[in-house]
Amino acid sequence: MTSVVLRDLTRRFENVTAVDRLNLEINSGELVAFLGPSGCGKTTTLRMITGLLLPSSGDVLFDDRSIVTVPTEKRGAVMVFQKHLLFPTISVGQNVGFGLRMQKVEKKEMDRRVSEMLELVKLPGFENRRAHQLSGGQQQRVALARALVVHPKVLLLDEPLANLDANLRLEMRELIRHIQRELGITTVFVTHDQEEAVMLADRIALMFDGVLQQYDVPQAFYQQPSSVRVAHFFRNDNLLGGTRRGDQVETALGVLQIDAARQRILDGAVLVTVRPEDVNLTPNPEAGNCVEAKVLLQVYMGTHTQVQLDVAGHTWLVHGTADFQARVGDPIRIQLPQPRIWLLPVS
Amino acid sequence: MNKILRWLVLAIIVITALAPILPQFVWSFSHRWLFPSLLPSQWSTEPWEYVFTATSRVGEGFFNSLAIAVVVSLLSILVGLPASRALALHNFRGKSAIEWLLMVPIIVPGIVATMGIHQVFIRLGLTDTFIGVCLVHLIPCIPYMVLVMSSVFANYGTELEDTARTLGAGTFSVWRFVTLPGILPGLLVATMFTFLISWGQYITTVLIGGGTIITLPMVLFPFISGTNYPNAAAISLVFVAPAILVLIFTSRQLGRESSVMGGFGRL
Amino acid sequence: MRWLSLMEKLRAPLMILPAVATIILLFFGGLLVGLGQSLGYFPAIDSYDLTLQYYAEVLSDNIFFESLWQTFRLALLSTVMSSVLAIALALVLRQTFKGSRFFTFMFQLSIPIPHLVAAAGIVLLVSQSGILARGAYALGLIDAPRDFPVMVFDRPGTAIQLTYLWKEVPFIGVVVLAVLQGIGPQYEEVARTLGANSWQRFRFVLLPLIMPGVLSTSIIVFAYVFASYEIPLLLGVRHPTTLPVLAFQNYQDPDLSLRPQAMAMSIILTLIAIVLLVAYKRLANYAVSR
Repeated sequence: MTSVVLRDLTRRFENVTAVDRLNLEINSGELVAFLGPSGCGKTTTLRMITGLLLPSSGDVLFDDRSIVTVPTEKRGAVMVFQKHLLFPTISVGQNVGFGLRMQKVEKKEMDRRVSEMLELVKLPGFENRRAHQLSGGQQQRVALARALVVHPKVLLLDEPLANLDANLRLEMRELIRHIQRELGITTVFVTHDQEEAVMLADRIALMFDGVLQQYDVPQAFYQQPSSVRVAHFFRNDNLLGGTRRGDQVETALGVLQIDAARQRILDGAVLVTVRPEDVNLTPNPEAGNCVEAKVLLQVYMGTHTQVQLDVAGHTWLVHGTADFQARVGDPIRIQLPQPRIWLLPVS
Repeated sequence: MNKILRWLVLAIIVITALAPILPQFVWSFSHRWLFPSLLPSQWSTEPWEYVFTATSRVGEGFFNSLAIAVVVSLLSILVGLPASRALALHNFRGKSAIEWLLMVPIIVPGIVATMGIHQVFIRLGLTDTFIGVCLVHLIPCIPYMVLVMSSVFANYGTELEDTARTLGAGTFSVWRFVTLPGILPGLLVATMFTFLISWGQYITTVLIGGGTIITLPMVLFPFISGTNYPNAAAISLVFVAPAILVLIFTSRQLGRESSVMGGFGRL
Repeated sequence: MRWLSLMEKLRAPLMILPAVATIILLFFGGLLVGLGQSLGYFPAIDSYDLTLQYYAEVLSDNIFFESLWQTFRLALLSTVMSSVLAIALALVLRQTFKGSRFFTFMFQLSIPIPHLVAAAGIVLLVSQSGILARGAYALGLIDAPRDFPVMVFDRPGTAIQLTYLWKEVPFIGVVVLAVLQGIGPQYEEVARTLGANSWQRFRFVLLPLIMPGVLSTSIIVFAYVFASYEIPLLLGVRHPTTLPVLAFQNYQDPDLSLRPQAMAMSIILTLIAIVLLVAYKRLANYAVSR
């Protein structure tokens, strides 16, 4: 059980700063997802934690001890890559046992731990197969077993599910979650898929352009995003300009009541946002916080109807019920429920 | 530390690469160069003048070598390319046996075959002929062509060709605009091999050419064994020049594309 | 329709046919004629009866065994040293650094250079009055050519081996380099995070991956050196010379009756080469898979 701390971690390539003064604490046994679009620096960060890449400046601490000078092979930070990278010249069993062999673990002990681990990843008795005889999902599970068998201090997963098809991915997510809980290994998971991050992680670290945007539990990214970009990444583009005064926001469409205690932005210019699924398309006539909008488009999505609205010149997406009906161009009264209103800084 | 070691290794690579070649430049301009002087005591252009006389037969040897190497390379492509493609992209019975058969000439010493062919060619009247020499050079060349090109074809696959075909390209257009550009880097390397193998052949040419077909190595050989170093050096340099030229064109492919040289790993 | 499917079936065989026919006719045809002659079937001198007499003659000759040993020793040493050096240098050259293209080119420089030219270059370098000897004299290390170690026409065949090394290291190296490039750095990275140190990464990750390439190219090199003629003829001692030299000398002798012996010698040489290659491949595979 190991805690990981990244302190002002920075990495520059030529004239690009891939990771910029990253500060992050990962608790022992926690599963953290590094989330962000490709090229945001999440893999670079992972490689610095493993030691495959040296930081330009800053520090990495395992259990409060700096390990920047410790070579990769002595860190106990094991990485699983997007490609399974099973050694093609040896069997599955030898692949899983690779790390133990490097430590010169005795053969009997090795075999025992290998078969135990193969059982854990639901591939019992696969020792003598070859990597190329396995399916993509099986290969990735062997790669996982190979990483887990050495009892890593930190397990690093670099988009390990990206090459798998949708069903397998779901299955693998559950397996990873299950094993991680059972073994309690501190785990960092890199992904560009926000859904995956939300499903798997205890906490998510969202990065853009090498800069940490928000580090929080998954719910926070929906209910309390830190910026317009973060909201956008989590598919919320509903914005309305206004000015906050205490527990009210003045907007072009009138005054809205907000939960002042929930907000992080002080009085002044703000952007009001409400997630698509939180906007009420059919409010009671006497309900508060209602504004006028215009229907631009509606698309039937099976489980719900996606409605595009014009809200004071901004385009909003709102989820209505599956049987929601309105005509394009019609005016519509919508409610922005007070507890669901979140204020974003004007960028 | 690691860096110093690397630069040391790199320096050794450069020095050893040049050490047997550069002194030959000096030798080719020397008249008297006795031990222990580090440079010739008498310089001269005589060796080079000699190279360009008809009696030296250097010119004759050069053009014979060149013509043979070009013909052999073209024949290797003609014969080897379809075979490489079939081995890489088609499945048929006895494929691995055929693969082995085509590789045998480079992993089994060819000495018996050369002598045997000599006997057959005598009877067929192919000894002392240009085409006879070309044929005997083909033996080591075809396997190299097939080795490199089957790997290249396998790596290139058929998807692009199939795409082109669905877009309405005919057989010739597919070949001309899709296949050929795709395999060209590999083909260049394979042709370099066949050219150089033929270019460097000695004993096979001596035997089959029977002294009628004179190639460069045959002109060079007596000067080395007779320790006439100035002339040997000058002829050596004539002999090396086209080879280096060929390398300059193919060095990039040799170094980078793993599918081109990677074929050797599957032998 | 039936015609089309027949075409489809015949396509691959037709594509292979020219290459296979050429190799069979030339190589295996030659081999067969040679085999026949070694067994006494030699119409040119009116000899038709099959006999093992020529093999017996060859095998009863001490010179044959001395030459065989010399050939084997030279081929084995050149092959092993070339392979080891090639792997080491490829490992250095695979790293990307400033000027790596230039150094890769320099490394490949000797690949296109004909063996004869290489031999001339090596003689000019290492003979007792060669560049190295002159350098040693200038540095005061030796007083006369005869103080410089004999490397040409010597029994160990130093100059021969240097020539082969100079030629074959880049050949094997280029193949290893290509294989290494195809492997990429990621296997080593995985191994590293799993706790493998640099020796273990080489031994358990890289070596098994490059071994097929090294094996194939070193087999080609061994077969080439084992049967090569002009280098030992130019740079080696007359006695013991190598088997190919001995065989070709017998073969080219005006006395045609020596030809069957030359053939028998070459057949034995070929058989030994095949046995050695098979053994080598087995051994190398076994050593790596352990």
